Amino acid sequence: MSFTSLSFIIFMAVLVIVYYIIPKKLQWILLLIASCSFYIYGGGKTILYLLFVAGTTYCAGLILSKLNEDKKANIKKRKLVVLLLCLINFGLLYIVKYLSFTAEVINSIAKTSLNVPNLLMPVGISFFMFQSVGYVIDCYRGKYKAERNFAKYLLFVSFFPQIIQGPIGRFNLLAPQLLGEHKLDYDNIKYGIQLALWGYFKKLVIAERVASMVSTVYNNYYSYSGSVLAVATIGYSIQLYCDFSGGIDITRGVAQILSINMSENFKRPIFANTLTEYWRRWHITLGSWMRDYVFYPMALSSPMRKVGSFARNHFGGVMGKIFATSVVTFTIYFIIGIWHGANFRYIAYGFYNGILITSGLLLEPIFVKLREKVNIDFKGKLWRVFQVIRTCFIVFIGRYITRAPRLLAAFYMIKTTFLNFNYADIFNGTLLNLSMSFFDYMVVIIGMIIVIAVEAYQEMGGKARKALEKKPAIIQFCVLMFALITIVGLGAMGSNYVEAEFIYAQF
Amino acid sequence: MNELLNLLKENCPGVDFENSNSLVDDEILESLDIVTIVSAIMDEYNVEISVEDLIPENFNSVSAMYDLITRLKG
Repeated sequence: MSFTSLSFIIFMAVLVIVYYIIPKKLQWILLLIASCSFYIYGGGKTILYLLFVAGTTYCAGLILSKLNEDKKANIKKRKLVVLLLCLINFGLLYIVKYLSFTAEVINSIAKTSLNVPNLLMPVGISFFMFQSVGYVIDCYRGKYKAERNFAKYLLFVSFFPQIIQGPIGRFNLLAPQLLGEHKLDYDNIKYGIQLALWGYFKKLVIAERVASMVSTVYNNYYSYSGSVLAVATIGYSIQLYCDFSGGIDITRGVAQILSINMSENFKRPIFANTLTEYWRRWHITLGSWMRDYVFYPMALSSPMRKVGSFARNHFGGVMGKIFATSVVTFTIYFIIGIWHGANFRYIAYGFYNGILITSGLLLEPIFVKLREKVNIDFKGKLWRVFQVIRTCFIVFIGRYITRAPRLLAAFYMIKTTFLNFNYADIFNGTLLNLSMSFFDYMVVIIGMIIVIAVEAYQEMGGKARKALEKKPAIIQFCVLMFALITIVGLGAMGSNYVEAEFIYAQF
Repeated sequence: MNELLNLLKENCPGVDFENSNSLVDDEILESLDIVTIVSAIMDEYNVEISVEDLIPENFNSVSAMYDLITRLKG
């Protein structure tokens, strides 16, 4: 069931009414039934994967909590439980997500004919698996006690708004809300609807409108000049941002209607000064998961500390200090790259981000010296604008890699963009033959101006929904109606409407 | 405490450690800085900082870091 389908709106309307009518102690049971139904409706038998992940992590959590209580328990035993749990779950993830890719690579290198059956990819497996494994590691660290009631734990894993594309929640923040008792709150309903509408606007009015143009160009990339490829890639950057952040807004809005506050997953990445900052603002819950469960343990592990000591003794200076951390940083961005999927493009994307960020770290002393010699106001607004544009450009190049049909196609497209730009194609009508009319371009441009204006306001500390609340009721009503009419009138709906899927749902 | 402050300044030169009690919460220190600081502290003070200690409260200020070291030494 897609968030953008009519059946989802009806599902939500019925759920919200029943949720606030039934005895409050039954609310979590209703959420569990709704979540499982939602998953079965969309994924059918693949719910077995979800139950497997929930079952194994639930058991591991209980075992770890038991071992934590026993002061004499060997730390090796606890580590073994976490190791086995990770092997089982990430092994499963590997089988459904990466095994056929591995077979393809082996076949092409060794000229063999390994045949891997195409397994059904469970929706959101990377999201609910990371969330569940995070829970187990927190239990290992003694951050909280394991949940003893499997049904309650299953709700944490399967909560329907987050199951498609996150955000990746933490048990100590999410479970008390899911299992708590909630009374009908006008503000939660109002803010939730506003946030969801904002998400629908980004997804249906902007992302879906630009998607067809992006597909048209990327499916025939060899037929277009660099300028058209660049426009399509800008279009894809817009599509991806509005699709993912819009989906997360719908998720958070829907959850808020049910009086559940979910973690933020975006913090206006378009205003990032550096690539590192961009990744801190984009898909925040994946970044913080990587930080807490991979980066810190890896950086503080005995082998990495030995590498660090070696680097400090042999390289000295800043290079010696941050060499080990840079290796770990590179590894993290590489993992984030392949997290997106089994493909050389994502491996290259991981390398691209990892190399740029690691080089930035290692070359920082040179940049410091350069900055001292150049007469530029590095705290001024102009420099800030330059940094934002530079970051957008780096991200823009990365988008070629992730969207192109093949890695070599991405290289070809980047090369064409720089060596055969042919800017005349922007003005000679070529753009109007790419499944988008002039009107569509205008809607996307005006839509993005609205998105950027709202985000700029938020970036300056403003709170859009609070500000709207201070306006007279008639203005609030008009804004709401305008949003609804815009989404219904300009969104990807109508008689030929196909339910819009979310790009990140496939990850 | 001054010794620790010097160590921190040496490892993260651009950070104003004296005037902030929310270094992590305000995102003045990021994960990379924290790992650099942790490595330096472990080397200098011969203490074992584990992943479980890597919570914002332990790194929000110089005094919080000092308390952490004292606790780990004790």
